[in-house]
Amino acid sequence: MWIRQIALMGLIIVMSLPVMASQTRAEAPLKIVATTGMIADAARQIGGDLVEVRGLMGPGVDPHAYRQTRSDIVAMTRADLVLWHGLYLEAQMGDFFHDLERKRQVVAVAEGLPKDLLRGHDTYADKYDPHVWMTPVLWKLVVVEVQKALTDARPEAADIFAANAETHLADLDQLVAYGANVLATVPDRNKVLVTAHDAFGYFGQSYGFEVLGIQGISTQSEAGLNRIGELVNMLVERQIDAVFVESSVSDRSMRALIEGAAAQGHEVRVGGELFSDAMGADGTYEGTYIGMLDHNISTIGGALGAQVPERGMAGKLSAGS
Amino acid sequence: MLDLASSNGQVQQDHGLDDSPLAIRGLTVSYGQKPAVFSVDMTVEPGKMTAIIGPNGAGKSTMLKAALGIVPPVSGQIQVFGKPLDAQRVRIAYVPQRASVDWDFPTRVIDVVLMGLYRELGLLGRLRGHHKAAAMDCLDRVGMGDFATRQIGQLSGGQQQRVFLARALAQGADLYLLDEPFAGVDAATEKAIISVLKALREAGKTVVVVHHDLATVTDYFDNVFLINTNKVAEGTVAEAFTAETLQAAYGGRLATAQVDQLALALG
Amino acid sequence: MLIDALLLQLGYNATLVAIGATLLGVSAGVTGTFLFLRKRALVSDAISHATLPGVCLAFILMASFGGDGRNLVGLLLGSAVSASAGLWCLNWLTRNTRLAEDAAIGSVLSVFFGFGIVLLTVIQTLGVGRQAGLEGFLLGSTAGMLWADAMVIAVGGAVTLLLILLIRRPMTLVAFDPEYAAARGLPVSKIDMAMMGLVMAVTVVGLKIVGLILIVALLIIPAVTARFWTERSDYVVLLAGLAGGLSAYIGAAMSASAPNLPTGPIIVLMSFALFLFSLLFAPNRGVLAAVLRHFRFQRRVHLRQGLLALAQGQPIYEKLTLRLLRNGGLVRADGVATDKGKARAAKALRDERRWAVVRADQAHEAAAALYDGLRQIESVLTQDQITEIDRHIGGPKEVLA
Repeated sequence: MWIRQIALMGLIIVMSLPVMASQTRAEAPLKIVATTGMIADAARQIGGDLVEVRGLMGPGVDPHAYRQTRSDIVAMTRADLVLWHGLYLEAQMGDFFHDLERKRQVVAVAEGLPKDLLRGHDTYADKYDPHVWMTPVLWKLVVVEVQKALTDARPEAADIFAANAETHLADLDQLVAYGANVLATVPDRNKVLVTAHDAFGYFGQSYGFEVLGIQGISTQSEAGLNRIGELVNMLVERQIDAVFVESSVSDRSMRALIEGAAAQGHEVRVGGELFSDAMGADGTYEGTYIGMLDHNISTIGGALGAQVPERGMAGKLSAGS
Repeated sequence: MLDLASSNGQVQQDHGLDDSPLAIRGLTVSYGQKPAVFSVDMTVEPGKMTAIIGPNGAGKSTMLKAALGIVPPVSGQIQVFGKPLDAQRVRIAYVPQRASVDWDFPTRVIDVVLMGLYRELGLLGRLRGHHKAAAMDCLDRVGMGDFATRQIGQLSGGQQQRVFLARALAQGADLYLLDEPFAGVDAATEKAIISVLKALREAGKTVVVVHHDLATVTDYFDNVFLINTNKVAEGTVAEAFTAETLQAAYGGRLATAQVDQLALALG
Repeated sequence: MLIDALLLQLGYNATLVAIGATLLGVSAGVTGTFLFLRKRALVSDAISHATLPGVCLAFILMASFGGDGRNLVGLLLGSAVSASAGLWCLNWLTRNTRLAEDAAIGSVLSVFFGFGIVLLTVIQTLGVGRQAGLEGFLLGSTAGMLWADAMVIAVGGAVTLLLILLIRRPMTLVAFDPEYAAARGLPVSKIDMAMMGLVMAVTVVGLKIVGLILIVALLIIPAVTARFWTERSDYVVLLAGLAGGLSAYIGAAMSASAPNLPTGPIIVLMSFALFLFSLLFAPNRGVLAAVLRHFRFQRRVHLRQGLLALAQGQPIYEKLTLRLLRNGGLVRADGVATDKGKARAAKALRDERRWAVVRADQAHEAAAALYDGLRQIESVLTQDQITEIDRHIGGPKEVLA
């Protein structure tokens, strides 16, 4: 007799499990894996408490060269949503993502940008410069893509995501204004940005700088000896006296450039370290997108003769930045 | 005076251990677990030509190499002219088997002989005219003087063997150890080599040869040492090179032709 | 542009790279020759691949102690340590197991290198900044050569060359005849270790310049190239240094004269070009020389056989023989010997008889060894000797038509 009652109870419990589970699932944060720190930051800004974001590439990591590790793969296959940049930024992982697409929700957040806004590649017709985060104007479009991806993954939270996105985009507008103001005060003849690789093309486009990189768009192409010689001559001829190193690329070529200019009697100094393909240390202001750009703008501006507020846009840059 | 009776009861000439050019006691060498040479004693008589003979794989070459420290023995004591081996290397000249060298190596005949002088030259010593003259002299003694500037790969087997001998001569040693110098050489070479060895003996040097050709033992050598992993016999040719000792060393492995040859040789 | 580069007129950086690379090329060429002579060329590949884990571990160590993970001296020390470990493993494997040397090399190479690649991926995730540039150890980054690097190469190269000068004789002897060397009391295994140590020094010095994957080429190709040109081992060493230095110099100049030419690989291609040239055109051991020799030989054999046939009244069947005889004016169109032909035939026969005497006589052994059916006897014996022989064999015989 009592066996039947227990069995009935069990059946009812078992039948209601899915309902209970879906309730719990609806409350668990959305698990997101993002490749670059910038995308991870955007996802956090938009998702807030509703998302749990794991970034694969930390500070100082070069996305052009990054190869996924086994734990990365495990995290991605268990995630609810995978965000990557696209446009051949994560050149070593492209095939992997195309495979992953079939099994999980994978979104290339920069691929959706209108092509007429992008810089083309000198040699390949249908390839573009992927460094779109370098100007907040373009990055705002990517943030919108991230918002779309999050909304698709968790439609119930669409309103929350939209509100967060609006706040973040407003902050980005502030950044745009800051950049325009500060960099307008750089004397025209100083508006040359010499860096380790060609990552600052969009920056140059936005703020009217001429951008020269030792390596090309990807750090995978070796720095040519000829290019170094060319750049040295340019530095000397045009009396450029500040160059910039990058946190995710070896500074060796830059040091060679400086030595070469010194041999011709022209002193060149390192104007500062820029965050090109990766952000600053986790947990610091520079470890967020806004902090990264703030740092870049302030450092470049400061080194090239602009009027820069002491601690950047909002007084949040760490001392000595 | 020690009475050195071998395990077969053959009596050997007794020498003081002190002055023997090469004295081996209890030598055992093995490759892996199998002994190639087992508990061998040998005392070489100075100023004589001694042949080491035995069937293939009997350990003849191994014994020589162990005596020189080229292969490590499991056990055994080696003394050269009464002192340990390492102190006396200057007085030993070694002529290895021809097959052990790559003959396409870029070196000329004269350069090989000059290698015999490296110890004298030291690390940085300059090669002078008299060194070259000494090397040429050694080449002439083996009849290879005209070949001095040839690359060694252009020589025939016998000629290569003679160059090796010339290199040994260049050292000016007192004890000469040769590993199968007559194997696969032409008659002219054999004649040249044996005459050089005999001249060395005349000059009071000691010669020990691992020899493969039983038919020439009585003509060429004063003493023999028979080995088949263990020592079988040691002594003068007359004493130790007999039908009995050969039977003991070779077992049933002497080909009939060889037996006939030997019968003739032993008279 | 190229001419300017070759004359070191293209500026400081290009000049520095050219000189630094040349110094490296010379040291590597000389050091690698002894490996080549010792038939251990691929050990250098194992050594270079074994440097990777050491570089990574050194980086991790230095970074975790709060220092700059990319301190060059530290990284090079790390590379030396793991390369030594690789060498030790190699030795242990060949000595204590039944593994053949090439299998041991393959194992050590792949295990160490694989471990290094794993470490590289681990470093990616460490969250330690400024790790960029470690991958540059794989293929080098010559363009970023600094004065300090050139100094390291110069000093390292000079010390290596000095040491080689010191132990060149023992190394040559051990390479040629290790058993004889052991019998002379040379410490063969220690000399081998010294040679490997020198290779390791060159590898470590060249790591940042041409990378561990390409340093092998700089060690081996010049030695192989030099081998084509000489039969003396000391000349092989010198020529290898020359070949290494030349290809490094030209390669660096080329990479400085045009954009998008990576220096390390271009140097290796130059090295290969020298090798190819030697393979084809070296006078004795080259392919072209061998082909020409073959054809010349064939013609001389046919001519000689034809003359002998004429002298002995035998018919000639082979077309090539007849053609050669005709072209030489030695027979008429119908195959009948001309006067010139008869004279030459008679001499040929006589020479054969003279040679027979020479070869039977022990006293003429060196001359007899030169007999190859074609050699002129006058080039081997003096006129007096030939006259002496003629007395044995009688006067020349007339050739009948």
